[in-house]
Amino acid sequence: MSVIAPLLDALRTTIRNLGRKPITAMHPFEPRTRAPRYRQSFALLHEANGDEACIGCKKCEKICPSEVIVVGTAAKRESPATGKKRGWADDFTLDLQACIVCELCVQVCPVDAIVMVRVPNAPGFEREDLFLTMKRLYENEALPHAPAIGSSMIASHNPAPASQAQAAAPAQEPGT
Amino acid sequence: MNVLFGSPALHALVLGVGIVSALLGVTSYFIWFERKFAGRMQSRIGPKHVGPYGLLQPIADAFKLLIKADITPDTADRALFNLAPLLAVCVALLSLAVLPLASGLVIADLDVGVLFFLAAGALTVVPTWMAGWGSNNKYALLGGMRAIAQSVAYGVPLVLAALVPVILSGSMKLSDIVAAQAGGHWFALWPPGPGLGAGVLFVLASLAEGNRIPFDIPEAESELVSGISTEYTGMKFGMFYLGEYVHSLVVAALFVTLFLGGYDGPGPDVLALQLLWFVLKVSLVSVLLLWVRWSYVRLRSDQLMTLCWKYLLPSGLLLVAASAVWVWWTEQGGSR
Repeated sequence: MSVIAPLLDALRTTIRNLGRKPITAMHPFEPRTRAPRYRQSFALLHEANGDEACIGCKKCEKICPSEVIVVGTAAKRESPATGKKRGWADDFTLDLQACIVCELCVQVCPVDAIVMVRVPNAPGFEREDLFLTMKRLYENEALPHAPAIGSSMIASHNPAPASQAQAAAPAQEPGT
Repeated sequence: MNVLFGSPALHALVLGVGIVSALLGVTSYFIWFERKFAGRMQSRIGPKHVGPYGLLQPIADAFKLLIKADITPDTADRALFNLAPLLAVCVALLSLAVLPLASGLVIADLDVGVLFFLAAGALTVVPTWMAGWGSNNKYALLGGMRAIAQSVAYGVPLVLAALVPVILSGSMKLSDIVAAQAGGHWFALWPPGPGLGAGVLFVLASLAEGNRIPFDIPEAESELVSGISTEYTGMKFGMFYLGEYVHSLVVAALFVTLFLGGYDGPGPDVLALQLLWFVLKVSLVSVLLLWVRWSYVRLRSDQLMTLCWKYLLPSGLLLVAASAVWVWWTEQGGSR
């Protein structure tokens, strides 16, 4: 009968599992191995010349599906490093409690200011751990960050976005 | 009647209190064992943090259930709603009255013991329906209606399965049925066929009557939220839970009594040894039932009815007829 074989198969599967070791990860009590590309939190970066990279363009705030990013745009002023006039953010908050970790803010950033980072204790033990102020975002800069930053992800688009189609023919390095 | 303590009333009282409290204790650790066992079957660990190996988990669970808010919905039928969990446990415990744990160690050795536990088993649907109707909730109501359909259907093969040992032993008294299997002539082994078939039928029908997985369609989390126990909180929910587990232990004990020779086993007829054999067999059968429970998914309502009316009922009738023929044939052979 076609019913009996699967019934016995189910019994065999469960009894075989009984002799195996559990695969449970005792996560908060023992360190857990993360995948190499695992990333959980965010950081804001400085440019090589020491300026804050964020220009306060609010693109990340607009694209965020769960609307957890709030950017306070400051008036344009001269950069202390280069002397050129550019935009600044005077406030930047990101609420990880509602973040869906889609990384769209990273992809849309025109100046590679925001990146995703690995943090040792993710997701965190208190609510405050999940609320990233501008200060904490810049502190996270020291943490190892994911290779995917805005410009490299845009460059890896295939076909290239229309804005860069003519210029970026050789720049298609595969998923950096 | 064999009486251990003074009058029959005192005997029943002492044994009843003793057996019921022992069973309730055993049940809470049976639940712990099931959680560990099911965990390992699914490559998990099971209870771990409360006490060594999670051994204090049942106590922690009981305290947790006690401190939960005790909610009775405004629209519920208060009397039915609050009485149902209590009855669920009591009805599950009823069958214990006629169960011989060892020679002479039985609360009330009724002449119609088989009839008694069949009646008690059929009663399990009453608290279920009380909960389903009293909750005044559509999911509970649907669960209760399913429970009735299931219970009515599976009562029939259950009776047929229980009839086989009755025919083979010629008595409805459970101690006589055990005595007829003395010396290893267990009905599950001999006569070949009807005994074992009836045993399997008995277990299937009892599981269905007790709403255990894979026959738990009155609860059916994926369809009915939580079925009959949707509106129950805290200890009232806990009592349904307890009743279900008591019932599954009682089913194992009845199966052992009817088909595996009860307390019969090698060695001298000492009370302690008989008790040990009985407990051993019941534990083994319970573990087998757990194995079945954690291997299968729930049947659909219509599959459940198909299984009962199209397969279990005819095979039950066949088994009864076969055992009757067997008894007639051995009597002929005896006179020959």
